[in-house]
Amino acid sequence: MFSIIRKRLLQLVFVVFVLSLFTFGLMKLAPGDPVMKILNADEMMVTEADQTKLRSELGFDQPIYVQYGQWILGVFQLDLGKSYMTGKPVINEMAERMPITAQLTAGALLVMVSISVPLGIISARYPGKWPDQISRILALIGASIPSFWLGLMLIYFFSFKLQLLPTTGIGSFSHMILPSFSLGFSLSAVYARLLRAGLLESLSEDYIQAARARGVKEGRILWFHAFRAALLPVITVFGLSIGSMLGGAVVIEILFSWPGLGSMVIDAIFSRDYPIIQGYVLLTGVFVVVVNLLVDLSYYWIDPRIKQKEEGTA
Amino acid sequence: MSIAVDHTKQISSTEEISIPLSVPLLEIKDLSISLKGSKGQQRGRLVNAVNLAIRPGEMLGLVGESGSGKSLTASAVLGLLHESMDVSEGQIMFNDKDLISISKKEMRILRGKEITYIFQNYQGSFTPFIKIGKQFIEALRSHGKITRKDAEKKSLMWLERVRLPAERIFNSYPHELSGGQLQRASLAIALMFKPSLIIADEPTTALDVLTGEKILDLLVELQKELNCAVLLISHDLKHVLKRTDSMAVMYGGQIVEKGPTKTLQTNPTHPYTKFLLQARPVLSLEKPGKLAVIPGEPGLIAKQGCAFALRCPKAFEKCGTVPEIRYQENSHGTACHAVDIEGDEKIASS
Amino acid sequence: MKTAYALLMRSFFPRFKVKRYKPLALIGFIGLAVIILLTIIGPFIVPNDPLTANMAERLAAPSLSYPLGTDHMGRCIFSRLIIGSQTTLGITAIVVATVILIGIPLGLLSGYIGGRFDSFMMRMADGFIALPEFILAIAIAGFLGPSLFNLMIAVVLVKWISYTRVVRSIVLSEREKEYILAARVGGSSTWKIITKHLLPQVISPVLVLATLDIGKVILIISSLSYLGLGAQPPDPEWGAMLNDGRPYFQTIPELMIYPGMAIFLVVLSCNLIGEGLRDKLDVKSM
Repeated sequence: MFSIIRKRLLQLVFVVFVLSLFTFGLMKLAPGDPVMKILNADEMMVTEADQTKLRSELGFDQPIYVQYGQWILGVFQLDLGKSYMTGKPVINEMAERMPITAQLTAGALLVMVSISVPLGIISARYPGKWPDQISRILALIGASIPSFWLGLMLIYFFSFKLQLLPTTGIGSFSHMILPSFSLGFSLSAVYARLLRAGLLESLSEDYIQAARARGVKEGRILWFHAFRAALLPVITVFGLSIGSMLGGAVVIEILFSWPGLGSMVIDAIFSRDYPIIQGYVLLTGVFVVVVNLLVDLSYYWIDPRIKQKEEGTA
Repeated sequence: MSIAVDHTKQISSTEEISIPLSVPLLEIKDLSISLKGSKGQQRGRLVNAVNLAIRPGEMLGLVGESGSGKSLTASAVLGLLHESMDVSEGQIMFNDKDLISISKKEMRILRGKEITYIFQNYQGSFTPFIKIGKQFIEALRSHGKITRKDAEKKSLMWLERVRLPAERIFNSYPHELSGGQLQRASLAIALMFKPSLIIADEPTTALDVLTGEKILDLLVELQKELNCAVLLISHDLKHVLKRTDSMAVMYGGQIVEKGPTKTLQTNPTHPYTKFLLQARPVLSLEKPGKLAVIPGEPGLIAKQGCAFALRCPKAFEKCGTVPEIRYQENSHGTACHAVDIEGDEKIASS
Repeated sequence: MKTAYALLMRSFFPRFKVKRYKPLALIGFIGLAVIILLTIIGPFIVPNDPLTANMAERLAAPSLSYPLGTDHMGRCIFSRLIIGSQTTLGITAIVVATVILIGIPLGLLSGYIGGRFDSFMMRMADGFIALPEFILAIAIAGFLGPSLFNLMIAVVLVKWISYTRVVRSIVLSEREKEYILAARVGGSSTWKIITKHLLPQVISPVLVLATLDIGKVILIISSLSYLGLGAQPPDPEWGAMLNDGRPYFQTIPELMIYPGMAIFLVVLSCNLIGEGLRDKLDVKSM
């Protein structure tokens, strides 16, 4: 148990290191002079003295490894620099927008669970029958439809034609429906298939038959005996796909004009606000590793046998 | 069926038999199990017209090689056949109820309370990620209202009765126990309701010899105490001969011979039973000779007629039809054309 | 129909056996074949130049000269769709081919040589796996500027990992088998063992994996183009076309329906084929 946490924490440090090198390197490779950018050189006269002053303030006159060292020290103190555009600390900018992205992701997860769990269970209970076929076709469609296009179609029908839901923006519950569905739908179909496969496998286990032989009710067997083991593949894939979900969130935020982290980074890309991009990439990377750490830990909760195996081999 | 009635009369007139002659607790009548979609044709039949009866408190051994249909028969009793199969013919009468026609709900209530099951695969007896104690309580609460506390008390008591360190086992996950401990625990969970019938499906096969013996001793001991019937399924003749009151031998989905264990042991009539008894190593003072080998390939089953015909040295043209069970003295019955003819000749010559 | 399916599959995957006839996979194959054909003959059949703007005819309804109407710059939507598939499919083909060309050698070496090289590769892979492909693409586009080429680099950088992993795991299991040992005892060089014995083993699973990936790559490319991080105007690319049509969406939804439909159909075709092939590959190794 602790060995796996240690391993994952080491991986976290390693990943942060790679990410920091990567983003720092890219930033240095990036075209254009950030100093001119900050001084708004396009619109104002900039003197040589102003440039030098700012350059040394930012530490840009130091050798590159010193710059990296200073930057990484800052990262550990949650100092990710300041936005070139607004001049506010990157960490504050991100903290401001994080709740919005979190809201979108949570909504999508909710959609995902409430579609995939019933669909997965029904298709596992009646494999090959029509609910199963429908879920299979839905999964194929879900995996093939671009989420932004689905979002656009939903806006067209529900907002323009039927005028039931708001087109864009945030605020009320009704604002959440379309974005959450656009982001959650494609994944929910995939998870329904995974859950079905997991359930079919766990329902054929001997211990299910044993529980039946003890007269345990079928519903209880499904939820307490079969479901848990069926979650293993689902959770594994969840860990692997959390990244693409965050990626999807970027598109959906743009589409529905949600001022979350995603629209922040896209704005930053077009205005070459490198510290923001850097902060976003670092934050996402760390988040993905942390989620995968939690996924690993959940294995032990799902199946205590894994713990024994790990300890046996360690 | 008329023959069966005749022979009960016969028995009552003959010598002492320890089994009480009450109504059978479980009576399997002409049970056939087929693959779904085969519509009960000979071909798709996995179990063919099986008749068996167990009286209260009796221990019946069901012997046969793997694939002979022993476990399928047992699954049918519990109503737990795999989806791809179903009972195409016959009845399973349990206390005047036909287990095949009762509703799923009624069956569930019987299962685990009146009829319990002990599995061969002890690792599969308990769900791996739920503590043993929780599964005991779950079983108890599936069969009636009982408080968590009472359920816990009862579980602990039964774990003690199968001579396990109750508290520790109660709080353990299945994978933390040894095979013998698990099988004891499954004995406890099976006996807890004082069922009238226990089906033990090769309960010792996956265990080492000594542990297996101990488990069976315990089973016999508790059976006597609770006076429940046991259907002991095994491919190991040794256990069955040692412990059961009566036995039935299956081959290829058919019962080839059945009767009191003692009679079958001393006076087997069906060629397959004879082979089985000869193929068994016996401890003796002399240097043992070669063990007899059953001819033919194990699991070779004739598609039509007597399932054993392809391997049987006595097979003749009549074996292309399924032989009926004919009873001799002591409810000892054999399904074999060759034996029938021998018997008829004997009667004729006498 | 059945034999045609088997023949088709076998021409791509030499060891393919028809276990179960899969009509869906056949539909996928036909769909993809039609789209590829359209892409190839596209330049000869398009009625108009996809880049020529004609402000007089902007946002026109479908007509004989503009089968699907025109966009906000008066360009022929039909022509842009057909030519756009060159961008989308072409980029995808290049990306997948590059990924295979990187993934196979690295996987072979990592699995066969093992040791330091292997653990270095796997640590690298661990590092990259934490970076979702989409985010990596955003990072690269963000720092190096939005362009199709940078987008391709980003996708390749993420995708090589799973190919290297699959190849490595196959090599690890094959390495200890008798025929490899025999070849080694017989004095075959490492180079020869890798190319003659191991390479043929990995080709088929890698092709299956690639088929499963094509749809995903198309989705990533079009999503990023939609965000403006991929194909740049005036290049016709399906995702970019969706982006162009966004302001006129409420009045002329067709501007968005057609390109979206095109993406959906291509990806669906690939996924249908993938469904038919999925059981050929151990999903766990991905």
